[in-house]
Amino acid sequence: MAEHTIDARGLQCPAPIMRLFVIMKTAQTGDLVTITATDKGFTKDVAAWCHKTGHTLDAVDEADGLITARIRKA
Amino acid sequence: MTEFDPRQTTNIRLQRFEDVRDLIGSPDHPTPLVRLNRVVPSEEAPLYLKLEWYNPFGSIKDRTALYLLRGLAERGELAGRQIVEPTSGNTGIALAALTAIMGIPITVTIPDGVPEEKKTLLRMLGAEVWATPDDLCPINHPKDGAIALAHSFVESEATRDRYVMPNQYENPDNVKAHYETTGPEIWQQTEGRVRWFFAGFGTCGTLTGVAKYLKERDPSVRIVAIEPNKGHRLPGLKNMTESKEPSILDRSLIDDIVRVDDEAAYAMTKRLFREEGLIVGPSTGAIVHAATQVAREADGLAVAISPDGGFKYASFFTDILGDEGLPT
Repeated sequence: MAEHTIDARGLQCPAPIMRLFVIMKTAQTGDLVTITATDKGFTKDVAAWCHKTGHTLDAVDEADGLITARIRKA
Repeated sequence: MTEFDPRQTTNIRLQRFEDVRDLIGSPDHPTPLVRLNRVVPSEEAPLYLKLEWYNPFGSIKDRTALYLLRGLAERGELAGRQIVEPTSGNTGIALAALTAIMGIPITVTIPDGVPEEKKTLLRMLGAEVWATPDDLCPINHPKDGAIALAHSFVESEATRDRYVMPNQYENPDNVKAHYETTGPEIWQQTEGRVRWFFAGFGTCGTLTGVAKYLKERDPSVRIVAIEPNKGHRLPGLKNMTESKEPSILDRSLIDDIVRVDDEAAYAMTKRLFREEGLIVGPSTGAIVHAATQVAREADGLAVAISPDGGFKYASFFTDILGDEGLPT
């Protein structure tokens, strides 16, 4: 099970989700993707995207304007 | 006796060009008009198709891209930046070809549903291609994911200093291109006799620029816009309820809007191939279908735009052909 990291800090929606979308294309089932973002809407966006695409949102934390989400590929 | 200079002559049989950019449509080097002889009954007023795939990079967008880049350069906005632009393909191809010549890096965001042939062409021209799903951002974002993504490149803190977007949907240089080239060519080529003009709703640069030019000379010229249905498969055309209306569109210049569905568009495209020998893209089929549906007066000479050729759409045509042409 591989792990991927995406630094999407300073990127505005939809760029962070797009980065996630691109990584997920080559990721394998069960892989973990950790993405950090500063875009205020990202917490909602990533939850909605996971719901739509069927990937699992393991966790999402927000601290000092930095959002970290951990997603597992379905 | 003045020495013959092949760069100055307008006799096309004697022309040679020092730069591929000189091949882009202009009043000195217009794209051809060809009469449709079989899909239009002979007793009707002539309908001429303006073959924009004669432009060097394959589409009417060559004109737009040239003007967009020229405008950016003139305003000093290119300095040290790379280009990013959302496009259905043709603008990307034209921008990629021109920026390749100019030595400027380019990133293109395109809708996911665009045929593979277009994506490959862009990469072949050296562009970085982001194929973007339309519904990328499930919350609060326009359906055009490619447009939203390109905007985020030029607005994000992390990337905004490195990118500049020509922005074909909002940049008046798009309209200027057609006001200064496509429109005057049509007027010139029809000797001022054009009465009807047909083009699609896309970025609306062609519609607005040509309409403006023609109506300045003859306010009675009728401008007809072609609109596809929602969820259509006609790259380049836009349905104005599902896509954001381009700010460069001047609706006051549009006299009629004709809605064309995919089936009719592809059926006419097939007819153009088989009855006129014209290898056109499906947006041409949509535009010509609309033109044949509109009743024109006896002296109603019409010009319709053929934005691009059919070679890039082989994968789309396979879908509509079924088993046709295959031996049984």
